Amino acid sequence: MTRPKIITFICIIGYLSVVFTFPQVFSPQIKKLGVLMPAIYGILVAANFIACVGLWYFKQWGVQLYLISVFAKTLFYLLVDQVGFGFYFNIAISVIFMFILLRFYPKMDPNL
Amino acid sequence: MLKVLFKESLFFAWQSLVANKLRSFLSLLGITIGIFAIILVFTIVDGLENNIRGSIQSLGNNVVYIQKWPWDFGPDYPWWKYMNRPVPQYYELDDLQKRCKSVDALAYRIGKRKTIKYKSNSIQNAVVAGISHDFYKIKNFDLSSGRYFTQNETDAGYHLALIGANIASGLFPNEDPIGKEVKIGGYKAVVIGVIKKEGESLLGNSFDYQIVTPFNFARYFLDPKSENSDPIIYAKAKPNVTNAEMMSELTGVLRGIRKLKPMGEPNFALNETSLISKGFDGLFDIIGTAGWIIGGFSILVGGFGIANIMFVSVRERTNLIGIQKSLGAKNFFILVQFLGESVMLSTIGGFFGLLITYLITLLGKDAIDMDISLTSTNIILGFTISILIGIISGFIPAYSAAQLDPVEAIRSN
Repeated sequence: MTRPKIITFICIIGYLSVVFTFPQVFSPQIKKLGVLMPAIYGILVAANFIACVGLWYFKQWGVQLYLISVFAKTLFYLLVDQVGFGFYFNIAISVIFMFILLRFYPKMDPNL
Repeated sequence: MLKVLFKESLFFAWQSLVANKLRSFLSLLGITIGIFAIILVFTIVDGLENNIRGSIQSLGNNVVYIQKWPWDFGPDYPWWKYMNRPVPQYYELDDLQKRCKSVDALAYRIGKRKTIKYKSNSIQNAVVAGISHDFYKIKNFDLSSGRYFTQNETDAGYHLALIGANIASGLFPNEDPIGKEVKIGGYKAVVIGVIKKEGESLLGNSFDYQIVTPFNFARYFLDPKSENSDPIIYAKAKPNVTNAEMMSELTGVLRGIRKLKPMGEPNFALNETSLISKGFDGLFDIIGTAGWIIGGFSILVGGFGIANIMFVSVRERTNLIGIQKSLGAKNFFILVQFLGESVMLSTIGGFFGLLITYLITLLGKDAIDMDISLTSTNIILGFTISILIGIISGFIPAYSAAQLDPVEAIRSN
């Protein structure tokens, strides 16, 4: 099955967000939180990017990884107490995307 | 099984990197420059921050400076309000000592740049300070040789001096300075101690270029009533007293000493070191953010370079991928092989970036006499960024290689 346009849109948003959030990995704000925080945040950003690649290829593991990365990112922000407007906005957008992705999940390729 | 798979994939990746040395070198150059730019900025900022924090710490966290001018870094500094204020006087020190209960130690200091001479050697613009006896209780400094003044020597204004390490090495290159006579503003003073080397301080408060004398001697060549002598009274709080409590008491006592009206504006400033810290916090945030933006985009460009080279690599080895897959290689094996190659490339690039940064910090240390060193935090950060950029830039080419149809791949040229 070909990739629906809405999934393409989610992937493009995801790629763009990676381009803009990747520099945050080594931002002074994240660095101040602790020695390992840039690494942890970086893994989350990389996971988000890989999930977008999976979604681009219309793979089920893409959705699974997307859900895990969104959950882990939310947990990360809560743990480091970085809760602001951006945090709630991200959650709202992610929840909408998750509903869309889960709707298409059964039609996706289960293989790697 | 998975371990063998990883090992073999990484071996293939390594072989490919070695086979195309120039291409590998050019593609890792982007990451090297990016990591170098960002980690160098972080290292310099950390070094400067440590230096300034160290200097501020040496000023004392629980010390309040009674001065004419307040330390304020805001853009709307109302200097006209302060310019007619009197400078702190030595007699005020005695009154404060008698009346303040929250103060552990009080000291008075005046200072000005002067030329110091010993025989044919001279040092221009050395800071000559005149201090009251308890100065050592407030300022942290160690003596590398000699001794501090006695109470009698400071009170009577003996012609004695403690000299900083750079003054000692400048005036006495091949001699022991202790017991020698130096000339300060035409007055002779016997050197009784040398202050241990402290290194450069960005706040300019290092003792290395200072010569410290008793106040009652210094008043011969420094005018304590003049603003040019920068008179300061230092007050150090007792162990269980906060700065706020001490400042409240100092304000009341000083108002009494200066006979100010109850509702009148104070004509003195009580400055704390935290004011300097706050001023510098904003500056470091700006430098850090600028470095982050510049380095961040260099890294992104480097990442695009690696992604590009990985696409070329996949295209070149499509035939080989087909053969590997037809011999039973799993998608995961191909994925790890190409991903390993890009991570290896960017990690090597990052390593060289860190190495260049380290070499520059070594050179810089000698050049500017300041402790700027590559910290473990920055090394971890450098490698983290390298590995991440390798994963992000190599994943799409690696995944597209893993998805290739073996028959189509073998047929391709």
